[in-house]
Amino acid sequence: MTYFSTLPVVESRRRETRMSRIITIINGHFKSWYRSKSNIFWTIAFPLLLIVLFGAIFGSGSTKFDLYVQNQDLSGNTPTYLSGQYVSALSNTTAFNLHMVAAEQTNPLSYVKDDAQLHNRGQRLLVIPLGFQTVLNTTHQAKIQLYMDQTDQASASLAGIVNAATVSYAAHLSPTTDNVNVQQVGIVTKNIRYIDFFIPGVIGMTLLTTGVFGAVNTNGRYRELKIIKKLATTPLSKLEWILGMVGYQMILATISLVVILFFGYAIFGVTATIDIYTVGLVVAAALLFPGIGMVLANFVKEAESADAAANAITFPMMFLAGTFWPRETLPDIMKIIANFMPLTYVNDGLRDALIYAEPAQALTNTIIALGLAAFFIVLGSLLMNWKEE
Amino acid sequence: MSNGQPTPFPGQSDKIVQVENLSKKYGDNVAVNGISFSLTKGEVFAFLGPNGAGKTTTVEILECLRNPTGGQAKVLGYDVSKRSDQAEIRKRIGVLPQDFNAIDRLTVRENINYFGAMFKHQLDADKLIELVDLKDKRDEQFKKLSGGLKQRVGLAVSLVNDPDVVFLDEPTTGLDPRARRDVWGVVERLRSQGKTVFLTTHYMDEAEYLADIVSIIDHGQIIASGTPDQLIDTHGGKKTLIIRDAGEEGLKQLPTGLPKAELRNAGDIAIPLNNGELTNILMSLGQTPLHDKEIEVRRPTLDDVFLNLTGRRVSEEGN
Ligand SMILES: Nc1ncnc2c1ncn2[C@@H]1O[C@H](COP(=O)(O)OP(=O)(O)OP(=O)(O)O)[C@@H](O)[C@H]1O
Ligand SMILES: [Mg+2]
Repeated sequence: MTYFSTLPVVESRRRETRMSRIITIINGHFKSWYRSKSNIFWTIAFPLLLIVLFGAIFGSGSTKFDLYVQNQDLSGNTPTYLSGQYVSALSNTTAFNLHMVAAEQTNPLSYVKDDAQLHNRGQRLLVIPLGFQTVLNTTHQAKIQLYMDQTDQASASLAGIVNAATVSYAAHLSPTTDNVNVQQVGIVTKNIRYIDFFIPGVIGMTLLTTGVFGAVNTNGRYRELKIIKKLATTPLSKLEWILGMVGYQMILATISLVVILFFGYAIFGVTATIDIYTVGLVVAAALLFPGIGMVLANFVKEAESADAAANAITFPMMFLAGTFWPRETLPDIMKIIANFMPLTYVNDGLRDALIYAEPAQALTNTIIALGLAAFFIVLGSLLMNWKEE
Repeated sequence: MSNGQPTPFPGQSDKIVQVENLSKKYGDNVAVNGISFSLTKGEVFAFLGPNGAGKTTTVEILECLRNPTGGQAKVLGYDVSKRSDQAEIRKRIGVLPQDFNAIDRLTVRENINYFGAMFKHQLDADKLIELVDLKDKRDEQFKKLSGGLKQRVGLAVSLVNDPDVVFLDEPTTGLDPRARRDVWGVVERLRSQGKTVFLTTHYMDEAEYLADIVSIIDHGQIIASGTPDQLIDTHGGKKTLIIRDAGEEGLKQLPTGLPKAELRNAGDIAIPLNNGELTNILMSLGQTPLHDKEIEVRRPTLDDVFLNLTGRRVSEEGN
């Protein structure tokens, strides 16, 4: 007895099953993703929009060089005459936006690092040491320190202008002697501007939202539509389904990363280094955030409420985990809460890896993120009912 | 011992589904209460019952989606409670879950291939599309289709692995009459091609029209089984003579000595018919003003069977 005699069973396709099932699932998710305008908006356009917006708000529109100046040479509370004159000389060049750093700042470099980041400025510091005036008046050999990163594109011209201004100032004091000496001190700041800080945050935010909402959609909504039930009646296993979802998330995470980094480079000249930690963090994020989404989808059965729950979780996490502003600016209690936000470690790790070039810190954050990822994806998988509800 | 080999019940190798004393409890709620039935190769079998009767629970036990709490069930000779057997069952069955939707942004053809890819072999998508009459919609995204067309995609998807038995859980619920007819057409085609089909429904006419064998399930128990004709003969009760639009007035005009008549729907008079009485009644009606009303003899339907067995009727919504 031949079943279905009019249907061409002979034309049936053969395939290597396990891998092809996983690929089919990835492919299905991916097609569903790029065919939805709102998906494209939230994963691609929205992050880019944020970058442009925040870049414009916090970016300095001026073409002058940012230069932080700390004048330690005070008498009482006011700068000494000669040090004041020197600052004026710098100012008169009109090449600089001078930002004065209070003399009480005991660690001016770290202050400059934070402040420059926040205001999207170049990280360069000129220190007029205590005793500047006394030294000039006695030994005629005063020293000025200029802290600058060698990789700072502006470093050469900036140093040139500072030197020129200094020479002209010194000549003005005493035409014959070379009495003020600018010492250049190299610092490895990578000259972090706000936009450099912001871009890894936007990547973290995008991984968070696509991961959590993607999992809520594919595990909550697909359940409501009985797609999961249907799949459970086929040879597909729960593990294959989850691997398919995670694989899709990894592809999406990679696309987000590449697009955002390229955009950041093209518009703001943000240079990032992609290393093994970046890869580790993307893998972690593609497990961690869908894992959180799966846990949500299993606790909140109705797809719509699960969506609301996902919003309730992702939004506070975004702000607390230092996506938009450095966590240092948060109140203490919020800083503590931030330590419990998985996104914190992804954001920090991405900054360490992509921008700060701090492999040791990147490693720590990557390990924490991978640990959290393992925890959430396993929990989400265990909680997920593949068969009986 | 299963070794991937089916282990049929002795002497019943053409039984596609074999259920004995099957039960399912959810806590204290007994959803399925010791039911037994079987499906023979090539048969269209309908599980007919109101909402909450236990249809889905039973079907999903057969699909290895839920575990029975008592009794035994075999599909294609494989035991639904054995893990290794479940894998074999999954390869060979076709399933349309109740309220199934395919993937919104995949096209008809992509959806068929998506679910087809879960199996080692799949039927050609275009032939399946032809079978369910969706040729001009094949590249349309699922979400853009009307309810009836969506259900046809579901049917195609349930056939994609050329299954030995197809489970259709309420395939026409919520569809308009035309779309229901279309789904019926597909099921008829399956029957004509020798497929074994297990369908659930709360539509009496659907079971009557489509099924070779009907089992009526209520409160988790099978209360009657057989071909639609057998069920009607045994439980349907008498034929009824209907006089259309006669109203209260018509009742008064009835000749005396007839079986007790009742008024139904919009003024139809219904008179139960005993065997052999028809001619006499018609002749006596000829003497009354009722003789030029529309008169028809109605055979009992599965509706009457259900009413007689349970004392209730099932509404359109299945309640
Ligand atoms: N997962 C579950 N947990 C608890 N009770 C359940 C579950 N599924 C079904 N039930 C209960 O079991 C009984 C039978 O439900 P089932 O879904 O099998 O009925 P059905 O005949 O398919 O009804 P419908 O026509 O509404 O689909 C109902 O009382 C229902 O409330
Ligand atoms: Mg049901």
